[in-house]
Amino acid sequence: MVNATKGLLISCDIPMAQFIINMNASLPASQRFIIHVLDNTHLFVQPNVEQMIRSAISEFRDQNSYEKPA
Amino acid sequence: GVLPREPMHSSITVRLPTLEELDAYALEQWECFLLQLISSSQVERQTNFSSSMMTIFQRGLLSQRDKEALRLTVHGFQFLLMDTNAQLWYIIREYILNSEDRGVDTADLISFLLELSFHVSGEAYNINTLNEIQRIVIKDLADLGLLKLQQGRKESWFIPTKLVTNLSVTLSDSSSRKQGFVVVETNFRTYAYSSSKLHCEILRLFSRVEYQLPNLIVGAITKESLYNAFENGITADQIISFLQQNAHPRVAEKLPSVPENVTDQIRLWEADLNRVEMVSSNFYDEFPSRDVFESACDYARENGGHLWEDSKRMRLVVKAEIHMQMREYLRRQK
Repeated sequence: MVNATKGLLISCDIPMAQFIINMNASLPASQRFIIHVLDNTHLFVQPNVEQMIRSAISEFRDQNSYEKPA
Repeated sequence: GVLPREPMHSSITVRLPTLEELDAYALEQWECFLLQLISSSQVERQTNFSSSMMTIFQRGLLSQRDKEALRLTVHGFQFLLMDTNAQLWYIIREYILNSEDRGVDTADLISFLLELSFHVSGEAYNINTLNEIQRIVIKDLADLGLLKLQQGRKESWFIPTKLVTNLSVTLSDSSSRKQGFVVVETNFRTYAYSSSKLHCEILRLFSRVEYQLPNLIVGAITKESLYNAFENGITADQIISFLQQNAHPRVAEKLPSVPENVTDQIRLWEADLNRVEMVSSNFYDEFPSRDVFESACDYARENGGHLWEDSKRMRLVVKAEIHMQMREYLRRQK
């Protein structure tokens, strides 16, 4: 019988996928959210983690920016 | 048809503004109105519009959260970047829609405005040819810069400006294009030859204004200034078309009028904010046979819910919206 799992499909580029996988691995086992790694540009994760992932990406992006001190 | 009123006879000795003076007047009135609209602290004098009228114009463009000051909404930001004719039409539309509440018949108002757009810009028309309602309306129109009111010794006149005669001109008519003022260089610096406070405010929406000289605003387009704009709901396309439509005549002739590396980079920075897409969905596996798997994929595709599949391992991801239908369909397959 077909098995259905509810969650979130993440589509992104390869570096971003690696970033999310890495973020997942650094969390304690109870908080890990990746259910399946589908291929190198798609992940299937728990629902409700959208905001957490977006803020982590945002933080990562800010760390990569340099603003000249005024 | 013939206009119900004739322009003032040239024998009457009252000094009319030249076309340049009229254009400057119209621009000043319109900018003052816009500055007041966005509650800018830069506005030097208030227009004569009542605060309730201003509130109606501001609806949709500005919003207020509790005790905070009024803030521009997404529509507000986009409104500021539209060209003058589009902005004018938006305001006029709100003015017309609201006219019933003020006791002015909508049909009369629309026909009066259309009538005005066929007058000759720069010619003076006697106010005694207007009925009572129209006399009230022209005061509002003068505040917007559509007309200039002039007092003679015995009589009063109104002079239509280019803004009102452009009401009946299509948006694609290039003769109604005002002169551009922005030069964007390949090093992302912007030079805006303008002394207008409104232009300065608009540039601050997406660029970092560095110096304000009497006739020049110098700034730079940076990642931070653009992220600020994107957070406020402005799109890269809107910024780019604003820069292109307002390109200074010196660079407007060149193709492209805005350097390609700048427009590309603006789009790249916007894309950088959207690297990840997340969709609520359901994951299906453990299909009993390849046939069931393939028909499930087809069913998902037909209903617009197919997101991803792995044919080798027979796994399928489908949009959450059609989960119930999929479940029913799979039950029927047994």
